[in-house]
Amino acid sequence: MKLLTHNLLSSHVRGVGPRGFPLRLQATEVRVNPVEFNPDFVARMIPKVEWAALLEAADTLHLAEVPRAPTEGYEHDEDFLRKMHHVLLEVEVLEGTLQCPESGRLFPISRGIPNMLLNDEETET
Amino acid sequence: MAAARAEPGSGPAGGARFFCTAGRGLEPFLMREVRVRLAATQVEYVSGKVFFTTCSDLNMLKKLKSAERLFLLIKKLFPFTASSSKGKILNEVQQLVNNDPRSWLDAISTWKNLLKLGVREELSQRDAKPPKRKMRENETIIAKKLKTEEIQKIEENHRECQLEEQTEDTLEQRDSTTRRDKLEKEEIQKEVEKAAGAHSQEDLTFRVSCRCTGTIGKVFTSQEVGRIIGIALMKQFGWKADLRNPNLEIFVHLNDIYTVAGIPMFRAPLASRTYIKTAGLRSTIAWAMASLAEIKVGTFVLDPMCGLGTILLEAAKEWPDGYYVGADVSDSQLLGAWDNLKAAGLNDKIELLKVSAIELPLPSESIDIIISDIPFGKKFKLGKDIKTILQEMERSLRWQRGSFLPGARFCGFFKNMESDLKIIR
Repeated sequence: MKLLTHNLLSSHVRGVGPRGFPLRLQATEVRVNPVEFNPDFVARMIPKVEWAALLEAADTLHLAEVPRAPTEGYEHDEDFLRKMHHVLLEVEVLEGTLQCPESGRLFPISRGIPNMLLNDEETET
Repeated sequence: MAAARAEPGSGPAGGARFFCTAGRGLEPFLMREVRVRLAATQVEYVSGKVFFTTCSDLNMLKKLKSAERLFLLIKKLFPFTASSSKGKILNEVQQLVNNDPRSWLDAISTWKNLLKLGVREELSQRDAKPPKRKMRENETIIAKKLKTEEIQKIEENHRECQLEEQTEDTLEQRDSTTRRDKLEKEEIQKEVEKAAGAHSQEDLTFRVSCRCTGTIGKVFTSQEVGRIIGIALMKQFGWKADLRNPNLEIFVHLNDIYTVAGIPMFRAPLASRTYIKTAGLRSTIAWAMASLAEIKVGTFVLDPMCGLGTILLEAAKEWPDGYYVGADVSDSQLLGAWDNLKAAGLNDKIELLKVSAIELPLPSESIDIIISDIPFGKKFKLGKDIKTILQEMERSLRWQRGSFLPGARFCGFFKNMESDLKIIR
């Protein structure tokens, strides 16, 4: 699970609503992979990023050099884009947990795949 | 697909005529694809086959995604009159070969050239030099003498090496590439030695695959007609028949609409992808679905019932700049998907989640495109009803101003009980 994906995931436990975001990340195994840098792609992701959630996750993983906010004219700031590329796409959580901030429910991450299935009592319907 | 990728100069000058078979419903996709990918002209669809002319070489032709098999056209004629006497029809079949032997020889020479160009490009790419088109005088034995089977062996080896390389855990691409190069160079050397024998027309071995359908299929069996053609070819050109491992394969199809003869250009159907380890949905359909979605840079594409991930694989291969996420409830499917991603080298491009399609843990309006082959009960059963699933998809898609806009697309294939395909937008 990359941090770009973590940035999108929220808990769907019953009654939690928007307070189910962001999921608190805990990692026991992390891998860093080189991924081909596509500045266009990264630039398009920037407006979609939830910064507080990203910074919280990056801090948990003790990542260095994480930009705190988009710079002015970030689309052409290669240094900024490369750093964001690294944070969003090159850091992979292989084992760990995601925790719903409201209900405390834990979702395991195994082999890089978060398991967010809820049982019947927990679902919204 | 970028139209700019079509290289008009690298194939036979003036272009060659081909035809492809396509699955039912995919013909419009194929017609569009040959125009865009190969700059094809004279594109026509007749009774299950798409005919077209293009200057593209084998490497470009191999990239066709919505076709089943590709053939170089030898002849396309009006159908034989099935109402004539048996003897008369057999005569017509023989005339297929004897009327215009020149056209057969031309086709075979085009076929040989296409193969030559294909191999030369493989070799020169590896040497990191631009393809030398003026090397006719110094043409190596390799290019001249290679038979189809050797080339296909190389292709198979290439495929195996690719898979081997991609299942390694490390990303040392450079090391694996040089290893693959070495293996291929050795392979080519072996084939050269083998091929040093046959260098003239007479040494060509062949086999005829014939299909007779429609009215004429009721009068003759495919084998009967195939045999007649085979004998006519042997008499006309002096080739030797080899049913097991021929150099040249001739494919003939007789039906009520046409009589078509062609040479298959690849041993394996185009639909069986080198980069997909275990196919779920048929790759051609998966690609066609993805092509409808108009994926651009940074487009967030979700398959909420991804199974083995075939749709996402086809999409990520063709449009690598999207952001792809696959989800499924089944552990075994996700494991298969993960294996597929790894084998294709696409696990950086596609993320997997274990989530339910009716409870997507995603904020509303966060997804650009949803593409899915929704299980309808034949192979996999739907736990919840389709309405709930569609509602959840609707919620998570980025609708603008409450209507279907180019900004958000939903494309699903429903296979109903009669196994027909419908596209719903």
